[in-house]
Amino acid sequence: MKENNECAIVMKGISKEFKVLNRREGLKGSLLDLFSRDYKTVTAVDDISIEIPRGQIVGYLGPNGAGKSTTIKMMTGVLEPTRGELLVNGAVPYKNRAKNAEKIGVVFGQRSQLWWALPLTESFNILKDIYMIPDQEYKDMLEFYQSLVDIEPLLHKPVRQMSLGQRTLSDILAAFLHNPGIVFLDEPTIGLDVSMKSKIRTLIHALNQEKGTTVILTTHDMGDVDALCRRIVIIDHGKMLYDNDIEHLRRFFGSYRTLKLRLSGDKKAQLEKLTAEIPECSVGITEDEEWITVLVDEEKRKVMDVLSQIQNSYTVRDMQLEEISTEDVIRKIYEDADRENGAASEETEEGSESK
Amino acid sequence: MKVKKYITLLKAGVIESVQFRLSLFIMIVGNMLYLILIYYLWNAIYASAGTDKVNNMTFSDTLIYLVLATAIFNFMEMYAVWEIGRDIQSGKMALNLIKPMEYRSYLFWSYTGGLVTNFVATFLPTFIVIRIVTKDTIPLGLNLLYFLVSVLMAVEINYSIDFMVGTICLFTESIWGINIMKQVVVLLLSGATIPIAFFPETLKTVVYLLPFQAIYNTPLTILLGKESFENVVMMLGVQLFWCLFLGIASRVFWNISVKQITVNGG
Repeated sequence: MKENNECAIVMKGISKEFKVLNRREGLKGSLLDLFSRDYKTVTAVDDISIEIPRGQIVGYLGPNGAGKSTTIKMMTGVLEPTRGELLVNGAVPYKNRAKNAEKIGVVFGQRSQLWWALPLTESFNILKDIYMIPDQEYKDMLEFYQSLVDIEPLLHKPVRQMSLGQRTLSDILAAFLHNPGIVFLDEPTIGLDVSMKSKIRTLIHALNQEKGTTVILTTHDMGDVDALCRRIVIIDHGKMLYDNDIEHLRRFFGSYRTLKLRLSGDKKAQLEKLTAEIPECSVGITEDEEWITVLVDEEKRKVMDVLSQIQNSYTVRDMQLEEISTEDVIRKIYEDADRENGAASEETEEGSESK
Repeated sequence: MKVKKYITLLKAGVIESVQFRLSLFIMIVGNMLYLILIYYLWNAIYASAGTDKVNNMTFSDTLIYLVLATAIFNFMEMYAVWEIGRDIQSGKMALNLIKPMEYRSYLFWSYTGGLVTNFVATFLPTFIVIRIVTKDTIPLGLNLLYFLVSVLMAVEINYSIDFMVGTICLFTESIWGINIMKQVVVLLLSGATIPIAFFPETLKTVVYLLPFQAIYNTPLTILLGKESFENVVMMLGVQLFWCLFLGIASRVFWNISVKQITVNGG
């Protein structure tokens, strides 16, 4: 019982499998499918164990379809795990769902739990009564919100007339309203502009500090991770790849340097050639397509060595040397995992993947 | 206070439904058009029958019955099956399942606000008009009280059936066909489109053993005030039985089914 007080979430060997019908193609196949009993089992989450202490902000990362949302749905009690032991706030989440729901808050990125046609303040009032929040606590919470962001103009606006940013902000405020022990944020900053993103990060940080709320955050935005999370968990294909604090991750990849080059000529062609010429480094192009990036592990090969090899066959117009960013680290972990899987299955087009 | 949750959801529903003024207005107009259609249809049926009474009901009896059946349908139909189906297909179900309330009650009380609005906007005006037009054929007495009790139970029975059909969507992940079938079965067997008095004897016996007639036929028969007190008590008793039975059955069915759930998206 002792660990219940320290840990918000305990997962031991959790797996989740789905049964999916094997679909056939074409009209004939579709008609045959009507009578088919040919199911295959898809493992969305495979033997994951995590312990999350109270008050921590955990970044839960992974590419699309890695099993992040499935894990979150199990933690919130929407889905029942196929195997394993799961305790949230010291209770099994899918049993007595309604009772557990009082102690958690959830934001699913692209969906709103707010009442579409009603002004925000009405939605808050409904939530206040549904979660049975005492008047005083409710008032204090609204005042605290007001001290963080200017919610006054939002309160009287119907949710359907809000911009995406305003709606997301409102949804996050709604999730924290009943002061839950744990809040799950599933891609909260998706599709938002830079200033709204930073507003939301500040908000989450302040709520975590002030109320001691445990926050589980899934995101694709490294900015979110750098700003908020000290611990990150990475999963892919349902398996856990990494679970440690973010500094450890940077240290682990401390010998990596990113070499940024501006070469004359066509970048796409150079990218392919370079990938073949220096197989021990991962080569990519920056988002603005201005630079070619070469990720070098100094323990394997010195940066200068790589640079001089490139200089022999290309004209380098400009160059920069950078520490590895968190984003690169994550990408590196995905790629390594992919390569391991790739050895088993057949996968060759690694280099064509741009940043 | 536990009751407060429910009242809040009811109030929110009322506010939400009056937000869309135009849709409310169109609903009232559409209701009137349908009533005119019914008038001419049954007018023609009675004209071709050549007698004043068909199956022991006069033209005005039939008209009152059908007009009020429509009025009840208009305020009572919740389209809960659509809502459940949409929630499942869009993945919004996940958000509803993590509300600190049972989904069945949550959905029910979210709907009640709309029911109250529709009752005032469509049923009351229709009732008043039909009473004036038929020159006091409907008595105003205790039957109104019985009617109210009966309608409340009818709402619950109708919702339970809807909810059970909606639960099937958890397995099929498609709603359209199932819902259309449900609607046809309910409207026919409940006596909402054709008065049960017009049914052949064998079908009548079967229909009285099913829960559907308790949705429209029972409250309407009670409202028309032609039944004896003993009969009214009997009918309310039967309704109460279905109310409890279906209420429990739909809960149990949902609880079993929700374990199977695979929430889409995300």
